[in-house]
Amino acid sequence: MDLLFWLPVICCGALAGASTGLLGAYIVGMRIPFLGICVSHAALAGAVFGGLFGLAGPWLLLPALAGAVIAALLLGMLDPESTRVDSNVLMGILFSLTLGLAFLGLGVYDIRGISKNDILNLLWGNLNFCRWSDFYLMVTAAVLEIIVIAAFYKELRAILFSRVHAAAAGVPVSLVWTAFLILTSVVLTVNFQTVGGLMIYSLLTNPAVAAFLLVKGYGRALALSAVFGLLSGLGGFLLAKATDLPTGAMIVILSSLIVALAWAISASRSRAGR
Amino acid sequence: MLQVERLEVDAGEVLVILGPNGAGKSSLIKCLLGLARANAGEARVLGRAVRPSSGASLRNLRRRVGYVPQVLAAHSETPLTVREVAAIGRTGRAGLFRPLNAADWAIVDDWLGRLGLGSLADAPYAGLSGGEQRKTLIAKAMVQQPELLLLDEPTANLDLYWREQIVALLERLYAETGATIVLVCHELEAIPPCCRRLLVLSDGRPVADGAPETVLDRRMIDALYGSRLKLLADGRRYAAVPAGEEGA
Repeated sequence: MDLLFWLPVICCGALAGASTGLLGAYIVGMRIPFLGICVSHAALAGAVFGGLFGLAGPWLLLPALAGAVIAALLLGMLDPESTRVDSNVLMGILFSLTLGLAFLGLGVYDIRGISKNDILNLLWGNLNFCRWSDFYLMVTAAVLEIIVIAAFYKELRAILFSRVHAAAAGVPVSLVWTAFLILTSVVLTVNFQTVGGLMIYSLLTNPAVAAFLLVKGYGRALALSAVFGLLSGLGGFLLAKATDLPTGAMIVILSSLIVALAWAISASRSRAGR
Repeated sequence: MLQVERLEVDAGEVLVILGPNGAGKSSLIKCLLGLARANAGEARVLGRAVRPSSGASLRNLRRRVGYVPQVLAAHSETPLTVREVAAIGRTGRAGLFRPLNAADWAIVDDWLGRLGLGSLADAPYAGLSGGEQRKTLIAKAMVQQPELLLLDEPTANLDLYWREQIVALLERLYAETGATIVLVCHELEAIPPCCRRLLVLSDGRPVADGAPETVLDRRMIDALYGSRLKLLADGRRYAAVPAGEEGA
């Protein structure tokens, strides 16, 4: 293996795993796994319309980010308590709307005879093609993630438990919730366009589920979820290289195996405790 | 729809709001916290209007009010410990960009100890029984050092043992803190002895307001629960029991 060539790929895989795994602890804890799908399709709609306005190549990331952030702001404004609609249902409505908009825009691409390759590459990246420029972009998103989580650490803990309980205790839920949604949209959009959707969806849920099975406590669960994400990203890549199998699939399978192992450990602990 | 013309609660008073399901009890509590918006009229809590108020002033008001909701927010994915759940009560008071300090955690640990949850402090909240979870939520409300405590059916879905534990706990909390307590329930058995005022709601309207011993009579029990139940009173505890053949 040419280490110099594969080093940015290894770094991107590890960083995508750690940053998505960390974010996933909140997403699984809040029971909003649909958020990833909602954000990715909002980013797709943004990129599609960015392309229609003449943007191309890496510049499409900007309208993709805008689309994802607008979706995040809309979700932040739509309070489940006042709308009497569950967060996941709101995300489902927004997902179908943004998907519809994306298809509408792609229809215009067909009419005008414009290539859709840039759009599809942006949303469904491939870890094997990651270069250092991608890694720097991911580092920027990861630093933003750490800053937001550190700034709102205790507020996010309260919201993770219950938004109603947090609001009743005087926590600025709207501010923190909206900041979290924007953070999610930025981190996921950046990761989607570098390492690909399949891998991100699995890293968003599997490491967190495994961490929650093995440890209790907010800080420990966050840390272990990030570590499991990192192990999945790094280990999946190394396994793929050793076996000459697809990288994304190996990362997904490894993260699923970690969940299975965590479940087995948790079940054996329960039996021993009886 | 909830329609209350005027309702005042004095500082240090324990008010129990009683009524059947759908009477508007929980809506009233949510209006007091600004979690639900009244169509008309004004709610004032601790001398301040709940609505309209800016986000910051509403949050400041909520930090002075302890709230125990009816629904337990527990699911297996919750990774928080009992201590961390109780600490949510200090989160708003601490303010943004300031971590909870040693004094905050000392208050949390103190209340966990006082409520008999000290040995469970590091246990996963999701693994507790319903009664222990309810106690944890009461601890969460108490660590706010509230001037007003709002409890929405704190004995809902609990067995008799835990119902009595919670009633005894409320009695002790009132004796120790003298806090103003507004308690919503639909069972007579959940009324703690410290309650000296009972408000009965039916279809969103108050139908009786006064001392429990004057409000609770056969006519009221018939109106609330039907003629198949009769009232039992023992000191300041009340219960509705089957009336037997003569009451049917």
